[in-house]
Amino acid sequence: MIDPRGSVIQRRLAGVARVVAVCSAKGGVGKTLCTTAAGAALAARGRRVGILDLDLQGSTAHLFLGSAPGLPEEDKGILPAAVGDNLGLVSAAMFAGNRALALRGPEITDAILELMAVTQWGDRDVLLIDMPPGIGEEVLDLARLVPRLEALVVSTPSAASTLVVERLLAFLAEMKVPVRGVIANMVRGDEASVREMARRFGVPLVGVVGWEPELEQALGSLVRLRQSKAAASLVEALEEVGL
Amino acid sequence: MHEWALAEAVVEATASALETRNPACLRSVTVSVGELQAIDHEIFTFALNTLREQRPFRQAVYRLETEPARLRCGACGTEWGLSETAGLDSESREAIHFLPEAAHAFVRCPRCASPDFQVTAGRGVRIISITVDASGSCAEGPASP
Repeated sequence: MIDPRGSVIQRRLAGVARVVAVCSAKGGVGKTLCTTAAGAALAARGRRVGILDLDLQGSTAHLFLGSAPGLPEEDKGILPAAVGDNLGLVSAAMFAGNRALALRGPEITDAILELMAVTQWGDRDVLLIDMPPGIGEEVLDLARLVPRLEALVVSTPSAASTLVVERLLAFLAEMKVPVRGVIANMVRGDEASVREMARRFGVPLVGVVGWEPELEQALGSLVRLRQSKAAASLVEALEEVGL
Repeated sequence: MHEWALAEAVVEATASALETRNPACLRSVTVSVGELQAIDHEIFTFALNTLREQRPFRQAVYRLETEPARLRCGACGTEWGLSETAGLDSESREAIHFLPEAAHAFVRCPRCASPDFQVTAGRGVRIISITVDASGSCAEGPASP
């Protein structure tokens, strides 16, 4: 038996200049905010951006971007949902809506393979992949399927975050996935703990995103997300890593 | 035409499998098509044959075999098939067509209604076998119908 899907993934990504996983082993640190706000701000500057929400069981990128999930359009594959200009989104919510999608490990791998094999991303400057919390199938599969994968790692200054994110940084080094930078998110005091963690792993701290309670009101509005302080900080972070 | 993307994967995988062989010796490729994904065989075959024309194995025949879907409940152990699955409307079928794992959002065990199940057979597209002429000295022939 041959699973043919892996053989076509490089072709699907041939027009994508950079593939960047936005990850953090810790949940609730703002990976989706960082992915969507950065993607929206980059798209507003004319960059062609794709966002793949790989948080299959907790997908919310569509909510941040104000994109109503629905079945995709097709053209020799599935097409990312257009979100404003220059931004395309693929999410499990397009297929499952807001229903629970309880998947075991091999099923997660199957879903990732399927989405990557049939999505026609076309020409993009960057594909940002919103990763779920944890260090599991999603990280392992992406590293295997996309040899040129890069990572941006998100952490809050809390010890509860940095303790877990350290494991991810060590793991990514072991997997030889280059980490382009660490982003300190939800910063209310200072970001010293994140800066110190990044220094120990030899990774630059490329962005500091302050605590922004008004962001809750921006959910569902692409315009407000683009105008958020977070988006401004994240664009600077992405410029640091050449995006 | 989501079938086209899967056909591209099959043809690409065929080419990879033939890396050390003369592609002109390829006779046939048998592809298992899982019932759950509900691939349109006519479109899929058309895509396979069209894509095959651009390859050095244009003489090869793609054969499709439907694999019936089987599901097994993790809670009560019941095994069942797609025809015994109730409540799938056209939109949920379409979602499963695009992403078979979406079945976990819509399907429940017909006996105990548990959402904890596995698809044990008939999920999606797989290459079952590739048949080549063992002589290894084959001239590229005309396209197969």
